Amino acid sequence: MRPIFRVAKATFHEGWRRRFLNGILIFAILIIGSSWVFTYLQPGAELKMLIDVGLGSIRFFGMLIAVFLGTRLIPDEIEKRTIYTLLSKPVTRMQFLLGKFLGGLATVISNVALMGITFYIVFAIKAPQFAVPSAEGAPQYSMEFMYANVAKAILLSFFELAVVMGIAVVASVVFSWILAAIFTFFVYFVGQMSDFFGHLADPDAGASPVARVLLGAIYRILPHFDVFDVRESILTDIPVVWPYMAQTMGVAVVYIGIVLALGYLFFNQREV
Amino acid sequence: MANIALAIRTENLTKIYDVGWGRQHVGIDNLSLEVEQGKIFGLVGPNGSGKTTTLKLLLGLIFPTSGSGEVLGQPMGSAIAKARVGYLPEGPYFYEHLNAPELLRMYGSMFGLGGEVLEKRIRELLELVDMWERRDYRVANYSRGMRQRVGVAQALINDPDLLFFDEPTSGLDPIGAKDIREVVLELRKRGKTVFLCSHLLKEMEPLCDDIAILARGQLIIQGSVEKLLARDTANYRVEAMDLDDETLAALKERSTDLMWLDDAVRALFADRQSAFDAAAMIEDRGAHLLTVGPDRRTLEEVFIEAVGEESNDETDL
Amino acid sequence: MSQLTKTIVAWVLLIGLFLGVQPLSDALARERLIRGYARPTQVTKILQYDAPAMTGVIVGAMLGGFREVAASMLWMRTHSMWHSGEGTQWDALYLMRMTTLLDPHWLEPWRITAWHCAYNLYVETDDPAEKARMLQLGVDVLKEGISWNPDRYDLYFELGWTYFDKIRDYDEAARWLGAAIRFEHPEYVERLIAHGYERLPDIPMALQWYDYCLKRRPSDETAKGATITIRERYLPAWRLMEERRFDEAIAAVDQYLTNNPQSTIGLHLKAHIYEQAGQFAKAREQWQLAADTSALNHHARYKVSELSERMGLPVPEDATYLFKQQQEEMAIFRPVD
Repeated sequence: MRPIFRVAKATFHEGWRRRFLNGILIFAILIIGSSWVFTYLQPGAELKMLIDVGLGSIRFFGMLIAVFLGTRLIPDEIEKRTIYTLLSKPVTRMQFLLGKFLGGLATVISNVALMGITFYIVFAIKAPQFAVPSAEGAPQYSMEFMYANVAKAILLSFFELAVVMGIAVVASVVFSWILAAIFTFFVYFVGQMSDFFGHLADPDAGASPVARVLLGAIYRILPHFDVFDVRESILTDIPVVWPYMAQTMGVAVVYIGIVLALGYLFFNQREV
Repeated sequence: MANIALAIRTENLTKIYDVGWGRQHVGIDNLSLEVEQGKIFGLVGPNGSGKTTTLKLLLGLIFPTSGSGEVLGQPMGSAIAKARVGYLPEGPYFYEHLNAPELLRMYGSMFGLGGEVLEKRIRELLELVDMWERRDYRVANYSRGMRQRVGVAQALINDPDLLFFDEPTSGLDPIGAKDIREVVLELRKRGKTVFLCSHLLKEMEPLCDDIAILARGQLIIQGSVEKLLARDTANYRVEAMDLDDETLAALKERSTDLMWLDDAVRALFADRQSAFDAAAMIEDRGAHLLTVGPDRRTLEEVFIEAVGEESNDETDL
Repeated sequence: MSQLTKTIVAWVLLIGLFLGVQPLSDALARERLIRGYARPTQVTKILQYDAPAMTGVIVGAMLGGFREVAASMLWMRTHSMWHSGEGTQWDALYLMRMTTLLDPHWLEPWRITAWHCAYNLYVETDDPAEKARMLQLGVDVLKEGISWNPDRYDLYFELGWTYFDKIRDYDEAARWLGAAIRFEHPEYVERLIAHGYERLPDIPMALQWYDYCLKRRPSDETAKGATITIRERYLPAWRLMEERRFDEAIAAVDQYLTNNPQSTIGLHLKAHIYEQAGQFAKAREQWQLAADTSALNHHARYKVSELSERMGLPVPEDATYLFKQQQEEMAIFRPVD
């Protein structure tokens, strides 16, 4: 356990020193911090705008950081040859991989947590103003549900990003980092649409049998990233229940397990 | 248990790289090496001859195409072997945001070291490589020589029985190179085995007990330096400068062979006595005596003889 | 553990987890729809629409967490174009369309885009055929929006209102408003249905809907008032018409029309009675009178065109009439929405 922790710690510290990622974080915090400004442009839909900009930024920038950090972690070690001194010590490949993954994940989560806190503050200040019923028939929001749902939405994005991170790290073992980044983006975006592919693979959708098999395979193989998205619940005022949260987190953990098992198979054979 | 005295043994170790599009590159070809414990072993050869490939195979960083190898009696790359091994890669790099003690603490923890013991060891090692005064510098601000020094320290953190040093002196100033050589000799004194990889033949010659020469992935020659450098016939040699014509003529008359080396003259003698007589004569006549002793070949000569002239220009002699 | 064993363990784990996660994530995908954390993708509906729609869905999904924001940005751009008068109306329409594709569950763009077509672009042209096309566009936009958001009242209402207010096709209006009230809705929707029926006119249906309003909210003063007025003024005429006592029916309506000659309901009812009596020329004249009374009375204008055609007279070009003809033609090719 100790080598994993040591590698993770070094990775975490090193991750926070990447200028590029610092840049993304600062940009994201600026956007999230000023998300309420955009709402003036959308009279009547302020709350929707606030949530779209805020939570959308958290997911999007978090994903950018996860992909660009995740795909660089191991290639950088190889390129800078720091991996030689590590792997020649009694550190197994799996320990190294886990250490890099956990260290990178800690970096991403701390980045996203900062974005989340920024958004939460903005939301706590601005949402009550927007939620005041302005016209006849405007929905009456329950603030407690909304606060809880925003926190839950952010929590779910942590788990989503953990899966993205795992895919990025493992892809970077197999491909060059550019290709790995493209691959991870692809998996993420298609995974976002898994509901869509699932429907297309449905016999009712009228796709040809070949296309159906293909779409079905995509639906089966890629993680269903859309299950981590509960933003709709915030606006429709439906509480996100803990059993759903627990199940989603469980699924994320299983996905990470799959990804790390793949990582073990690839990285154990990988020459450095 | 027959190989108890062997630190490293490889048998027909072969590594073929796939370069892509079906082409292959032979890294090392049927390498069978034996390295005795407690010796300084030099693996020499020009760049690209397979030295680093051999090292990476022995450390389990890459995997052999065929053949096998043992390090300290364990299969190469095994965790047990790694626990007793130290490795200084060529031109080592470290996490740039750390300073030397932090770096060594990280590496030490991977061997299960910690607490007072580790702190004491870190101080000893940093003093050994003359980095204790500069311990607060971050790796990002290191010179090449400082990185090399910390590289040596990290290789020694677990008090290993076997050390792998890849081009330990390349890129260092003369003082740095000398310090490293002293560390290597000190390690042998403590009974460690040191496995050196270098293309600097002149530096390896005085340092190594045993040597193996690689060229294009193949083992050319292997043995003790003493034996390899000795001539078949036991000659003696005298070298001198600033000879007047008379002395030169006298020297030419007594010697079996005479050649010019730039400003100096080298004369060969069939036996010890005549060599020392000639040396006395040179001193008497006021010329400048450079050396007198057994005529050994240089490693360079052995190498060129073994590999052939054409590889000469690949080698930084 | 040997290397081989470890590899086998990793494979077994990999396959086990992969198979294990399938039912779990399927269940989640279903649950989030059931619980309302997300809206279902109406793929089968999308497939009926155009290729750009498909592209929009894919590009939208590719923007992932950011597509709603992209839609919002685009929407802002549309606004600024709109107010600065930059670009043509069609440029704005294009941006609006892209917005609906990016975030199809956002109702605002559907509503505004349809309104833009059926109202703003409609008045840009004097050509009735072009006007009819704009109505068609507005209706299509809303129908597509409904296919994305079939479980919310908003767009059904919007479509019903467009039929009611702009096209003055009260039958269709009642159909879509009727669809809207299946979901949570404000109370004026039922009243609007009743208003539609009284203008059609279909007096008994209008009464039925006003009664429904009153049953829902007994304090509804508008409905109460309307019920009394209709019962007093128009129901007797309607009954007489049903008994085919047309002259008496006309006289009953006229009684109120003399006091209030611009009453839309009165004018329409009178025209309707003439129509039922088979006196098409008189009916046409009456509808023309109603059309002349109000410039926005497209229903009356439509009836004039319809009767003209039936009587073999030259048909005045009217947007609503052309639009309804188009609808009928298209109904042959289109699946039922």
